[in-house]
Amino acid sequence: MAYPPKLEAIISLFGALSEPERRETLISYAEQSRFQEPKEGEKFELEDIRKDQECTDTVAVYLRVDPDGGSHFRVTLGPQVQTLTRSMSSILCKGLDGVTPEQVLEVPADFVPKIVGAELVRVRSQTVYYLLTRMKGVAKVWLQRQRSEGLASEDSSSE
Amino acid sequence: MSIDSHYAHPEVLVTTSWVSDHLKDENLLLIESNEDILLYEMGHLPGAVHIDWRRDLQDQTVRDYIQPSDFASLCSRNGITPDTTCVFYGDKSNWWSCYALWVFRLFGHEKVMIMDGGRDKWIAEGRPLTREVPHPAPSRYPVPSMRRDAEIRAFYEDALAQSRSSRTLIDVRSPDEFKGLVTHMPEYPQEGVLRGGHIPGAHSIPWKQAVNKDSTFKSEADLRKIYLEDLGLDPNDDIIAYCRIGERSSHTWFVLNYLLGFKNVRNYDGSWTEWGNRVGAPIEKSS
Repeated sequence: MAYPPKLEAIISLFGALSEPERRETLISYAEQSRFQEPKEGEKFELEDIRKDQECTDTVAVYLRVDPDGGSHFRVTLGPQVQTLTRSMSSILCKGLDGVTPEQVLEVPADFVPKIVGAELVRVRSQTVYYLLTRMKGVAKVWLQRQRSEGLASEDSSSE
Repeated sequence: MSIDSHYAHPEVLVTTSWVSDHLKDENLLLIESNEDILLYEMGHLPGAVHIDWRRDLQDQTVRDYIQPSDFASLCSRNGITPDTTCVFYGDKSNWWSCYALWVFRLFGHEKVMIMDGGRDKWIAEGRPLTREVPHPAPSRYPVPSMRRDAEIRAFYEDALAQSRSSRTLIDVRSPDEFKGLVTHMPEYPQEGVLRGGHIPGAHSIPWKQAVNKDSTFKSEADLRKIYLEDLGLDPNDDIIAYCRIGERSSHTWFVLNYLLGFKNVRNYDGSWTEWGNRVGAPIEKSS
């Protein structure tokens, strides 16, 4: 499957970088992760805040879906979360912005080594995959709710 | 807080305050070693160089450490001479700095220290970080005549012999890993092994028992209670410590060797990722 256009652009950017530039860019994305946190007054359809086995600290994923179906993620990361995971939160919030929840579910994880590079994907750095899994989980719950609500409204209109 | 003078070798442990006062000392080099691959680049102690456990200390093909000639090159690149006092610190309660220190000892580098509390304590105290990467003038470091594998490192066969002869094995992993309830470390589910449990006869003493909440090492009296009084170890015992890949057991090796003065402690770096995947390796489980 093709990647969402914004994510594709980020992947292409990384593909053209030397190893030092790749590291610098990942750090830059990691620093921007704080800008992906929820803004004052923002409202979300779903909030998934938890600390689980896959990550070293609490990760909160927030999802808002526009009336036209475009999804917007926000992410808050605990202080112990690794730098690469911080980078990935920025990349995913930007790269998946505006795609539908259905499209989020179809994003393959094989873009991760294209961005992170072979040297940095290794034992003790695998949590870079974690955030995409969390985002897909939230998108899936949102879709299930939509289907449930759709069925409920069909039932009530047929009564 | 000062360093407990009752430690067997208090001179190998320094406080963040001491480091702050000695940042510009000649013949002293700060070395950051982390689990988080990019953390050094996000900011580090002024003047600190970065030694990466995977890239710099391990062979890139075979699961083993670098050779003596590579170690000499590593030291030369970082301006280290045999007279340089290397002060290690890092993330994760100094797991990887203890690991790096242990590898430096494998090659016989004598002057080593750990900054108590590691990177987190330095930051918690509001001390400065920099992104300026030092470029030390290359030094001359003689190629060590050997790697001291036989002295402070244990292999599978050593751990097996230790188990069969009922000599001391210390499993420093989490209790659930020891019991065989999980085949991975908490928070690292992607690092599973084929079998869970522990080496027959091993004692479960998680590494974390040796540290305070701020990642500093517990006092000599507290450590003595854990390892000597409660576990019944003797400083002359022949001991092998292990975990999953050797980093947490490096931490315990440091505690036993330097803080409590044990004389015969080896780190089994193959640890559970070797034992739990090896065909025919005996395994014990407990509830």
